[in-house]
Amino acid sequence: MGSEPAGRRTALARLFGSDQPRRVGARQEARLGWVLVLPLVAVMLGLVFYPLVEGLSMSTRSINFGTGVADHFVGLRNYIEALGASETRAAALHTLGYLILALTLEIAGGLAIALVLNKPFRGRGLVFAIVILPWALPSVVSGVLWARIFNPDNGLLNSLLLQLHLIHTYKVWFASPFWSIAFVTLVHVWGVVPLISLILLSGLQGIPENLYGAARVDGAGAITRFRYITLPLLRPALAVALTTGTVIALAIFDEIFVLNGTALNTRSVMMQVYLTTFQQLNFGQGTALAVVLSLATGMFALAYMGRFRRAAQ
Amino acid sequence: MKVERPRWARSVALLTGIVLLATACSSGSSSGDSGGSIKGQHITVMVPPWARLSKNMLAQFEKESGVTVDLNVTSWDGIRDKVAVAGAANTPLADVVELDWSWTGQFGRAGWFAPLQDKLSSSLSADLQNSGAFTQGGNVYGVCYSNDFRISAYNKKYFAKAGIQTPSETLDQLANDLQAVKQSGAAQYPLTLPLSATEGTATAWYLLTLALGGQLFDNNFKPLFASPDSAGYKALQFEVDALKNGLVSPGSISMTDTQADERFTSGAAAVTLASGPDEIVTANDPKSSSIVNQAAFMLVPGESGPGGTFGLPEGLGIMSTSQHQEAGLAFIEWWMKSSNLLKIQSQLGLLPCRTSVVHQLVQQGKLVGGQTIEQQLQSVQPLFPQGAPPWYTRFSTEAATLINAAAKGSMSVGEALNKLASDSQALAGG
Repeated sequence: MGSEPAGRRTALARLFGSDQPRRVGARQEARLGWVLVLPLVAVMLGLVFYPLVEGLSMSTRSINFGTGVADHFVGLRNYIEALGASETRAAALHTLGYLILALTLEIAGGLAIALVLNKPFRGRGLVFAIVILPWALPSVVSGVLWARIFNPDNGLLNSLLLQLHLIHTYKVWFASPFWSIAFVTLVHVWGVVPLISLILLSGLQGIPENLYGAARVDGAGAITRFRYITLPLLRPALAVALTTGTVIALAIFDEIFVLNGTALNTRSVMMQVYLTTFQQLNFGQGTALAVVLSLATGMFALAYMGRFRRAAQ
Repeated sequence: MKVERPRWARSVALLTGIVLLATACSSGSSSGDSGGSIKGQHITVMVPPWARLSKNMLAQFEKESGVTVDLNVTSWDGIRDKVAVAGAANTPLADVVELDWSWTGQFGRAGWFAPLQDKLSSSLSADLQNSGAFTQGGNVYGVCYSNDFRISAYNKKYFAKAGIQTPSETLDQLANDLQAVKQSGAAQYPLTLPLSATEGTATAWYLLTLALGGQLFDNNFKPLFASPDSAGYKALQFEVDALKNGLVSPGSISMTDTQADERFTSGAAAVTLASGPDEIVTANDPKSSSIVNQAAFMLVPGESGPGGTFGLPEGLGIMSTSQHQEAGLAFIEWWMKSSNLLKIQSQLGLLPCRTSVVHQLVQQGKLVGGQTIEQQLQSVQPLFPQGAPPWYTRFSTEAATLINAAAKGSMSVGEALNKLASDSQALAGG
């Protein structure tokens, strides 16, 4: 009695219509928590879980407006047909390529930027703003800007390489399967690295400074400190960065569409989902492919989290 | 004991009440078709940027009909996706919506647009060109508002610099003329052609196929373009050769049709093969062109003389989920009035689909390049005389992708067309 502040007790009592201050306790707090969380739960149910369940249902039905076949249950047929198509296999290989290349560049680049920004220096705020800028641009706009740079006729890249005598004639970069993937990845990484660097920077800022001090006293050099202090303590942030980078890379679409259209040599799984669903109007198969992509994304995320949790333990 | 309710609860209750009242009022203000007068109704019209009617014209319709219009301008690609999503969900997107000829097969079969053949007046139906392009299964789903078709254009000044006084009439002559223009220094890459994996690339190939006297499919949708002596094969070979021989810019493999067209109006190219009937209007607009008064229409070069072309008409349809179908029909009929079509042509450059109005424009000298347009119109044919198949969109995407691959050199012309032929046979069969 009298253990709670009088004002709070009174507010809670008023809220639940209670004139018995003694009954205001954990139960009422829990109820208040539910009341406050319910709107969000309703939104999540309506906008996340219901579409998810409906999507799973669609993926097991024949919903093809292009052929006019009546909607009926087909089990896993959509999955088998979608995954068996040669375009899907090629798209999956491209997507894997984007993922490996993008993650490598994003983590390496993001960490380098985060390490630099972690130290105070003059103009740090300005550098920070410049670093964030690519992330602020919509990916379509980035694609359009970079398309001008890669233009084989009058693009900046060809012009620069020619002046440096690294090429002898202007190159049609997107005619090459290798360079197509490389440049699409470059544009993608350019837009995502700022986000990754922010995540890693927040992780770096959570590492106690006294650990580095103690390590210096013990004679540890920069590389040793990085290896035995920074990296281990950065694991949670790295897990988040890897998960975020993976989700974004697996969903790559805008940059490809703007730079190279529906060309076979750069098509991703997400593009295949779009073509199947909105061009062919085969909603059943398109949804099945989207479910597979979501599962793959989820598996990667679980793998990262599990790996880093075990390492932390 | 009196229980005092929190003040914030009263505020929330009041706000909720206001919102509910506003919703109830708004939903009551626009009643659906009641079979009687359409006055007081409100319709939404969704069109691409080139069909953006002026505020004055919309005000005119509203005054004449008593129906208010919300004009929603969206990208052409965006409209297609939106119709697909709304149609799949069986929800209304807009009352009157753009219906491209290429969507008719799919959307008609899906039942997403209302049939109009029994609702249009017989005089209007008889005067309209291109109604076949909006017909599927015997139903007419759209009314043509833009008589778009493909026609070529050339830069007279560049040709004159190369010593050529008349436009090319055959593809062989065109190739020679382009070499002459290139050698004269007028344009490094004198022919502009989209070769990216986008819709416009397939359009240019279709045009050349028809110009060479061929067709894409026979009446049973058996592909006719895989054989080396077919028009389709020769058409693609011409494009690839033009790229290899330096007549087409290497950057074309990344260019859409709009970007390829800009090369012509910027003066970087001397010929655009697959342009529209508003090309010269754009080429003569100092705000968007560097070749004012230099461009002229040219009949599409063919095998032994000017060849055929095909129509890409755009129409207005009424979505079957619309609650204001009568009001939507009134809007379409108003658009199709001769006086309004003339105004729209002068403001937006859209060539009308009513034969009588086109003739009137030519007679009055209001159509830039009118004589060539009227001449070319005589050889306009539908791309699919047998009716656009429901799988056309997928076929078109495949065609653009494979043409792009052939242009990049990752496939030969034969490989690309054989793959397209086998894919299209699978589509037609399944």
